[in-house]
Amino acid sequence: MIRGVGVGILLAIYGRGVVDLESDIQRIGRELATAFPSAARHPLRSMDARALDLASSDAELKAALFRFVDVAPACRSMDDLARHLTNFLEEVDERPMPIAAAMRIAETRPGRAALGTAAARGVRHMAHRFIVGESLPDAGPTLGRLWDHGVASSVDLLGEATVTPEEADAYAARCADTLRGLTHLTARWPDRPVLEQDSLGRLPRANVSVKVSALTPLLRPDAPELGREDAGRRLRPLLALGRELGAHVHIDMESLDSREAVLGLVLELLSDPEFADGPSSGLVIQAYLRDSGDLLDAVLEFARSGSRRPPLQIRLVKGAYWDHELVEARQHGWEAPVFEAKAESDRNFEALTRRLLDARPDIRVAVASHNLRSVAHAIAYNRAIGGADADLEIQVLRGLGDELADAAASLGLRVRAYCPIGNLVAGMAYLVRRLLENTSNDSFLHAQARGTALDQLLAAP
Amino acid sequence: MSDLPEFRNEPILELRRAPVREGLADALSSLEAKLPLEVPVLIGSDARPGQDLISTDPGAPERTVARCAAASSEEVDRAVAVAGDAFAGWSGRPAAERAQALVSAAAWMRQRRIELAALAVRECAKPWPEADADVCEAIDFLEYYAQQAIDLERPRPLMQVAGERNEMRYVGRGVAAVISPWNFPLAIACGMTAGALAAGNAVVFKPAEQSPGCGLAVVRALLAGGVPPAVLSLLPGEGEVGAALVRHPDVHTIAFTGSQAVGLEIVRAAAEMAPGQKHIKRVIAELGGKNCVIVAADADLDEAVPAIIYSAFAYAGQKCSAAARVLAAREIIEPLTERLAGAARVLVVGQADSLDTQVPPLIEADAQARLRSCGEQAEEQGRVVVGGGSVPDSGWFAPPVVVADLPGDSGLLHNEIFGPLLSVEAVRDVEEACERVEELPFALTGGLFSRDPGTVRYVRSRTPVGNLYVNRGITGAIVGRHPFGGNRLSGTGSKAGGPDYLLQFSEPRAVSENTMRHGLAV
Repeated sequence: MIRGVGVGILLAIYGRGVVDLESDIQRIGRELATAFPSAARHPLRSMDARALDLASSDAELKAALFRFVDVAPACRSMDDLARHLTNFLEEVDERPMPIAAAMRIAETRPGRAALGTAAARGVRHMAHRFIVGESLPDAGPTLGRLWDHGVASSVDLLGEATVTPEEADAYAARCADTLRGLTHLTARWPDRPVLEQDSLGRLPRANVSVKVSALTPLLRPDAPELGREDAGRRLRPLLALGRELGAHVHIDMESLDSREAVLGLVLELLSDPEFADGPSSGLVIQAYLRDSGDLLDAVLEFARSGSRRPPLQIRLVKGAYWDHELVEARQHGWEAPVFEAKAESDRNFEALTRRLLDARPDIRVAVASHNLRSVAHAIAYNRAIGGADADLEIQVLRGLGDELADAAASLGLRVRAYCPIGNLVAGMAYLVRRLLENTSNDSFLHAQARGTALDQLLAAP
Repeated sequence: MSDLPEFRNEPILELRRAPVREGLADALSSLEAKLPLEVPVLIGSDARPGQDLISTDPGAPERTVARCAAASSEEVDRAVAVAGDAFAGWSGRPAAERAQALVSAAAWMRQRRIELAALAVRECAKPWPEADADVCEAIDFLEYYAQQAIDLERPRPLMQVAGERNEMRYVGRGVAAVISPWNFPLAIACGMTAGALAAGNAVVFKPAEQSPGCGLAVVRALLAGGVPPAVLSLLPGEGEVGAALVRHPDVHTIAFTGSQAVGLEIVRAAAEMAPGQKHIKRVIAELGGKNCVIVAADADLDEAVPAIIYSAFAYAGQKCSAAARVLAAREIIEPLTERLAGAARVLVVGQADSLDTQVPPLIEADAQARLRSCGEQAEEQGRVVVGGGSVPDSGWFAPPVVVADLPGDSGLLHNEIFGPLLSVEAVRDVEEACERVEELPFALTGGLFSRDPGTVRYVRSRTPVGNLYVNRGITGAIVGRHPFGGNRLSGTGSKAGGPDYLLQFSEPRAVSENTMRHGLAV
C-alpha cells in the first residue's frame, strides 16, 4: 500500500484531479447500480417496501406503526396485540383503506385474534430481515451463505439495556461465547481471499461488534470514568480472548452521551503492552457529528504514536442516533452536536473518507454506508490515490444494504455485513431505528426505493 | 418594555463534555475561599449581622457554610411594616419595570451560575448536576414570571355593551411572606419570591434554616437586579420566624413549600383573624407527596428501570416529587424488582462534590435517624431486596433501600419518607394501581410506564395527581413546560412555573364606568 497523503493533497490542488474524481464516482456508481440484483429476485422485499412506503406516507401512521412494532414483543396474547394495534391506529386521523379495514376486523374477539396473528407475523417477518437469528447456531447458516456470496460479517449481540452488573456480566459472557463460536464456525468456511486478506496481511473471519454500554450499568454522561473503568474490567478479557483466537473485536459507537467513555476506554486498553500485537480491533467515527473531524484527529494521533499491530480499523458511519441527539439537544437547550441537514453529513462523510484513506497504513478503513454516492466516492478516491481495492472495506447493515452488498461483492470489492443476533424483545430498539432509517424522507434508501433517478442519487452532496 | 425576548429555559450545563466538567472544581475552590458566608437580617437598607445559627455541609458537618443572624419578633414586625409601606409604590409601577428587575436578577445569577451551584453543593449537598439544575430553574422562574407579569397587566377581555366601559385587572395583594425549603435552596426560594414580586407584592422572605446562604444569594440577585430593598426583606431564622410571619395581621399572602405538617399548621393559623387584620389571608402551599409509579405489563423495562431509580434515589430521594412506591403489574413484577434491585445496588453513595455521586448525604442528623428507623421498619415488615449498603462514616448518609411485600397498612406505604427508600408492590392491573393511588391523601406527582395509548388515556383521566409523567422519570419539572404542584393534601393546587401562578399573588379588580351623559353615550 502506498502512503496516500501526498497524493490526496495533490489531487485537491489540481482541479483536473477533482474533475476526474467526480467522473470516476459517477462511473463507479453506475457500475454498482447496474450490478444491483433485480427486484424480481427479492419478491418479499418489494412487499416490505410497499408496507414501509405506506407507513412513511403519513407521519401519524408511521408513528402508530412504529410504536406498535416496538411494543409487539411485550404483548401477552393475540388479543392484547390487536388491542395495542387498534389503540395506536385510533390516534391516526386519516386511515388508508387497509388500516380502516383492520380496525373494523378488530371489533370482534375472533377478529382481534386474527388481526393479532397477522400483525405478529408481520413484525416477525420484518425483524427477520434485520436480525439474522436468535442465537449464533441459529444464525450460522445465514452467515455461511453470506460468506459464500462474498460477504463477510460482523456479529452484533442485541440485548436489553444493561442496568445491573449481572446483565453486564451476561452480555460479556455472550460476547465471549460468540467469539469462540464464530471462530469454530468460520474455520470450516472455504477460502475467500478477497474477504480475508489486504496488503497488510490477514483479516480475521470471526468478527464481533461490542457495545460498551452493554458492558456496564454505570455509564453516565456526566461521570464517564466510572462506566469506563467498570466496562474495562469486562472488555479487557474479551480483547485478550480475541487476541488468543485471532478474531476481530470492533467497538461500536453509540450516542454522544457515552462517546468520551468509549473512546477513552478503547484507546487506553489498546495502549496496553498486552495488546501490542493483537487482537485486531476497531473503532467507529460518526460523520453526522460536527466535531467528528477532531475525533478523527485524536484517533489518528493514537494510531500513529504506537507500533501496535495490526492497525486499528476505523469504521466510518453516518451515525444512527440522529433523532436522539437532536431531541436531547433541543430539550436541554444545547447546540445540536449533529449536522441538521443531511447534505452536510454527506459532505463530511466524504471528507472523512478521504482523510481515512489517506491515513493508511496507520489504520485500516471500513466505509459503512447505504448511500451509493458515498460508497462510489470511497472506491473512486481510493483508486485515484493509488490504493488497492483490497485496502478498502465496504460495510452495510444486514437487511438494509443487502443489494448494495451483493453488487459490491460482484465487482470484487471487500464487503462486510453488520449482522445482529438476538431475540425479538431485545432487538426492538434496533429494529425501530432501522425502520426509521429506511422510511426517513431524507434517507438514500427511501429515495432509491421511490425510483429517484440515478443522476440525482449520485449527485455530489 | 413589553417586548421581553421570548422565554427560553436556561440550558443546563453540558456535563458530558470534559471541559465543562473541568470548570466545576475551580468554582468550588473559589467559593470555599469565601466560607463561611455571613447572612444578616436585611430589612430595607439595614443589615443586622449575627451568629445565632450556622449551616453546615451535610457531607462534612464540621464545615460551616454560613453563619447567620436569626430574626427577632421585633424584626419580623419591622420587616412587615417596611414591606407594607413600600407595597403601594412597587405595585403601582408598570409591570415592565418590575419585570426588568427580575430579568436583571436572572442575568446576575447567570453570570455566577457555577459558583451559585457550588453553594448548593456545599450547603445542601446537592450533587453537581442537580445543583446546576437548581440554578437554571431559579433563572427560569425570574424570566418566566417577568413575562407573565407583563401579560397579566393587559386588561382581560370582558363583555362591553353600549353606555358602559368595563375593565378588569389584577394587582398585587400586599405583603407576601415567603417561607422556603432547603431541598431546592435557590430555585424554590427564588420562584416563590419572584412570583410574589412580579405580581406586585412586597416580600418578607424566610429561607430554611438549613440553607440561609442560598437564601441570601437569591436576595442579593434580586436587589442587584433593581428590586428596591424595602420591597424585599430577608429574615433568616428557625420555625418561630415563619410562625410569627404567618400570624402577622399585615401579611396578606403566605407562600410556603415544605412538609405537610407545617403546611397544615400554616393553613390553620392563617385562618385565624389577628387583631387589626383587614383581609382574608391566602395560603399558597406546596407540601409533600407519596408518589407512585405505575408499571403496566406492556412497559419497556429498559426505560422504566433507570427512570424509576433516578426518580427515587437522585438527591437521596429528598424531593417532594420523588418516586416512593412502584405499583407493578404482576406479569412483570419479578424481572422489574430484580432489575431495580441490581441497579439500586450499584448506586454511588458519596459526597455531593464528586460527579460520580448519585446518592449524596441527607440534609441533617435527624433525617439520617429517621431513615435508619424506616430501614428497620422495612426489615420488620417486608422483604428488603436492597439495603444496608456501606456509606461514608462522616456526613449524614443513608444507604438506598428497596423493599417489597410490605403489608398494605405499613406506614412506609402511606407516610412521606423523604429519603432513599423505594417500595415495590404487585398489582393485578392498572385499574388496581389507580385504586391504590386513589386511597392516598397525597396527589403530587405520579408516573406511568405503558405503551398502550388506551392505558395512558385511562390513567390520565383517573389520576388525582398534579403532575403525571408518562414513560419518563417523575422529577425535574421544568418551568414553562411542566407547571408544578400537587392536589389533595399535597398542596393548594397552585402551579409553579405555570401560566397562572401569578394569579395566586394577585387580586382582581373590576371597574364598570357609565359612559352615558345626558342621554348621550360618550
